[in-house]
Amino acid sequence: MNTNKVVGTPSIRVDGLEKVTGAALYADDLPFGPGLLHAVVVESPHAHAKIKSINTSTAEKAPGVVRVVTGRDFPYKFGLYMQDRFIFPQDRVRFVGEQVAAVIAETPEAALRAARLVKVTYEPLAAVLNLADALCKDAVTIHPDLANYERVPWFFPRAGTNIAHWRKTRKGDIEKGFRQADYILEDTYTVPRYAHCPMETHAVTGWFDLSGRLTLWASSQSPYAQRGVMAVALKPFGLSHQDIRIITPYVGGGFGGKAGVSMEIIGAVLAIAMKGRPVRLHWTREQEFKNTSQRQGVVARVKMGVKKDGRITALEHTLHWDAGASAEYGANVVNAVGLSATGPYRIPNVKIDSVCVYTNMPPCGAYRGFGYSEFHFGLESHLTRIAKALGMDPVEIRKVNAIREGDTLAYGAKMNPGNLVEAIDRVAKEIRWGRKEKSGSTRAVGKAVACFWKAPAMPPNASSAAYLKFNEDGSLNLAVSGMEIGQGFLTVMAQIASEVLTVPVSKIRVETPDTDRNAYEWQTVGSHVTWSCGNAVRAAAEEVKAKVLATVARAKKLKAADLYLEAEHVKNRRDKSFALPLREFVIDGIMLADGRYVGGPIHGTGMFMPEFTSALGDPETSQGGHPNVHYTVGAAGLVLEVDKETGKLKVRKVALAADVGQAVNPDLVRGQVVGGMLQGLATALYEDIRYAPDGRLLNPNFTDYKIPTTLDCPDKIVSIMLETPQPDGPFGARGIGEHTMIPAAPTIADALEDAVGIRLKTLPITAEKVALALNGIEYDDVKGDHLGFCFIGRPSDYSFEIG
Amino acid sequence: MTIACTFGYSKPQTVEEALRLLARRVGGGIMPLAGGTDLVAWLRDGAVSPGHLVDLKGLKELRGIRLVKGGLWLGASTTFSEIAESPLVRRHAPILTEAAGMVASVGIRNRATVAGNICSAVPCCDSGPVLLVYDAQLHLATRQGPRTMPVTRWFKGPRATALPKGAILVGILIPTGRHAGAFAKLKRYRGEDLAQASVAVRVDSRGNWQVAYGSVAPTPLRGPKVEKLLKGRKLPEADLIEQAVKIGDTEIAPITDIRGSEVYRRMMVGVMLRRTIQLAARRLAGEGPDYGINILEEEAS
Repeated sequence: MNTNKVVGTPSIRVDGLEKVTGAALYADDLPFGPGLLHAVVVESPHAHAKIKSINTSTAEKAPGVVRVVTGRDFPYKFGLYMQDRFIFPQDRVRFVGEQVAAVIAETPEAALRAARLVKVTYEPLAAVLNLADALCKDAVTIHPDLANYERVPWFFPRAGTNIAHWRKTRKGDIEKGFRQADYILEDTYTVPRYAHCPMETHAVTGWFDLSGRLTLWASSQSPYAQRGVMAVALKPFGLSHQDIRIITPYVGGGFGGKAGVSMEIIGAVLAIAMKGRPVRLHWTREQEFKNTSQRQGVVARVKMGVKKDGRITALEHTLHWDAGASAEYGANVVNAVGLSATGPYRIPNVKIDSVCVYTNMPPCGAYRGFGYSEFHFGLESHLTRIAKALGMDPVEIRKVNAIREGDTLAYGAKMNPGNLVEAIDRVAKEIRWGRKEKSGSTRAVGKAVACFWKAPAMPPNASSAAYLKFNEDGSLNLAVSGMEIGQGFLTVMAQIASEVLTVPVSKIRVETPDTDRNAYEWQTVGSHVTWSCGNAVRAAAEEVKAKVLATVARAKKLKAADLYLEAEHVKNRRDKSFALPLREFVIDGIMLADGRYVGGPIHGTGMFMPEFTSALGDPETSQGGHPNVHYTVGAAGLVLEVDKETGKLKVRKVALAADVGQAVNPDLVRGQVVGGMLQGLATALYEDIRYAPDGRLLNPNFTDYKIPTTLDCPDKIVSIMLETPQPDGPFGARGIGEHTMIPAAPTIADALEDAVGIRLKTLPITAEKVALALNGIEYDDVKGDHLGFCFIGRPSDYSFEIG
Repeated sequence: MTIACTFGYSKPQTVEEALRLLARRVGGGIMPLAGGTDLVAWLRDGAVSPGHLVDLKGLKELRGIRLVKGGLWLGASTTFSEIAESPLVRRHAPILTEAAGMVASVGIRNRATVAGNICSAVPCCDSGPVLLVYDAQLHLATRQGPRTMPVTRWFKGPRATALPKGAILVGILIPTGRHAGAFAKLKRYRGEDLAQASVAVRVDSRGNWQVAYGSVAPTPLRGPKVEKLLKGRKLPEADLIEQAVKIGDTEIAPITDIRGSEVYRRMMVGVMLRRTIQLAARRLAGEGPDYGINILEEEAS
């Protein structure tokens, strides 16, 4: 039974009023006065080319220009997990749109005009634009110096190739598993690249003040990770962590694209180049698509063996990922999938190969779901197809194989609590599974249920801290460095502190991070901040509470054990009349009979690190480590209407059930379900990235890259919260941020097949592809070569060979 | 948004003044500015870099929607929002009402003008097929005096029109008379989009049909063969409509590009023809849904 008063209730967002009234400030809103300089970068037109020369002299003389910088000024690399990204490229460019120089000027217009005057001479090199070319025997290597790149110990790049990382997971005896199977299905699924499309594009203002202090105001999910990456990359300038300060105001959407470091490092070095004057760099929408990070494309081979009763005996899952020109973050996506590509199922024999491949495409990195959406598309599609082949109910086959607490995961650790079977039952009931729906003569209706799971992908020492202090009026400041990226983080942290201290949420001010003032946070990624930072906040609040009670006990000569907090008062179990308001003493202390005071300003700190995790598994099997903290499991059910003439799809209803442990704020969980489902459906139905054969992105805009409008929302979205507590979570909570988009694509593919009998194995499932398939036309035959491509030719032709 | 090029700007109050300004010689050239929804994006992208812009929004003669002798007059400054909301347009040119509601998004419709739409003359412009089925007359102001031109002679190619250099499109005259029709627009989703293909049809009380296509040729174009086939048939039977679908396919020349393949565009023009002809016939008979729907998103039967 929930005895909590604040945790579990739909508290109103603490940032809500500010945001709806337009008072909230974002990175590009901050005023810096007339001294502010503006920068524009010069971009590579080539996917792969040697830089022969850069002539900046004309640009330097242009009106309003104060300086032009190139790779000669800043010959340094950077990266979160592997240092393979260049602040400015040195000898060669590796993707179309890469920054080769930057012009700093008094106005944005002057900078833009002068950027066109920078003359760069290139010698084009053979570009590696698809996985087959990248992995063939005599492949052109994009990072010839790969062997010497600094990296984390759990990455295994292959020198002399384009393989940035290869995660292998082996469990049981895969051959035996397939021998035991009554039925085996093997097929290929492809998922193209996607862009994050935050409402606010990346922006940074850097100021290297006259004392040599570097301050950055950035639109970021990761202020501390940014400081860490910059402290390493900018060491040649004598800068260390203490010299770098990152301030992150509100962020207009991140979705992983503002995790780690991308263009912010350019802002940092431009500031260093212009000591004493702030410099602003603000990405255009086109740059947001091309030169931050995208979601990696993947081609996946799924081979699964099952018994007649549906039990899975073996899974061989091979995934080749197009990481683009840099894998400094993307390789960790590949790693996460390599550990978890069984999906939420108990499978005795497993072989997973997840391979991260460099190409001359824009760099990729973190994106909501961190690889899980990508592999679930194939895996869940596959499971439904197998059920059909066995004559089994697709819901039943999922229940038969559903993972349960204590099961052995593919890498040997044990599964955490979570009720997947109930999630499946609840969504099946919600969409009236098994019941045919009516439709008009040109339409058909189909249904699907798919499961999902996801764990945060974190280094084993990723941690959180919190600092909580009282004010004279009994209000609180909570200084944490998790980022409010729309998910409601600030509100949830206030609720956790409120639960412990009985101070209402409206009296707890939680601000966005400043690395000088706010406590440490690894990053706001992986759906882990409610859990990790929530634990730190709870610990800080408990420390504050202990100090409050101890102060009162000492001043009033009472036993602290008899005291408790209620409605902003200290009360005494042994004396019902005793009630001391917090505001009377939390700063000023308590006066004794003789006029002396006891106490003082009360504050507290808390920290959290998951001390049970380890990334040190065997590179050949992944056995032996404990890389993940916990998985959140769930299922989604979807009702889809198909126009058989136009191929247009309309989602009538979607229901998503997730075992969130404890919904700290049910309204915010609902927000995650609606937002995640819309984002997932967008990747399934509309977002259709296109490249020209020379590696140019053809649709870096919302004219031709479609994300849904309100008109495109499902008629109904139902969110179901299951609450099997997470033992090490704050009040039992576990992560629920990314998960909600994961089941979207497979439910669309499965419901489409249920409705009209066609199976699409390549995302996105656009109306065009559906209409063509319904008329027996292969999309690959008509899409046209000049149009661009996903990242390989025809999925069925892809061999998965590594030369 | 940063615009790199610099340009002069004038906002004349009379058509004469505007014509005089447009006739000046300026380095980089002179361009007229109306709603700016295309022009400003081209300026941002560096696709155009005029030396001077002449803003036509100050011209009172270009404003207003009214009934005049010969038809319904749409001043060139009329925005798509004004058209979508106008009872006069709904009464006398309802196919335009239907199309206007599907143009881009509310914000764009509040700025973009129907005249600007046909002056930009991209193959996917939504007003093109509608004005074609209405046989609209375009009224131009030139330094030599006023001129009119049927819209059927307007479109010369992608982004190319018959507008003489230095002239201004001042208004569009749509002939009135009892009729029904429909406009269908193929989009990649329900939100704002450029047409992957579009079809407009009009039928009058004697069973004369006008048919036009958008986004399936270098310009919007009429479908004379389908018009001839349907002539005199106020309620075409199913097999006649299927014939129209087949013949319609011979009237278009779509390409494969980022917004759709040729084969998909052809298939969908067939679906749109079928659905718009049926819908127009129903509307002519006093049935069918009000104007303002996209028949591709509705249940077809």
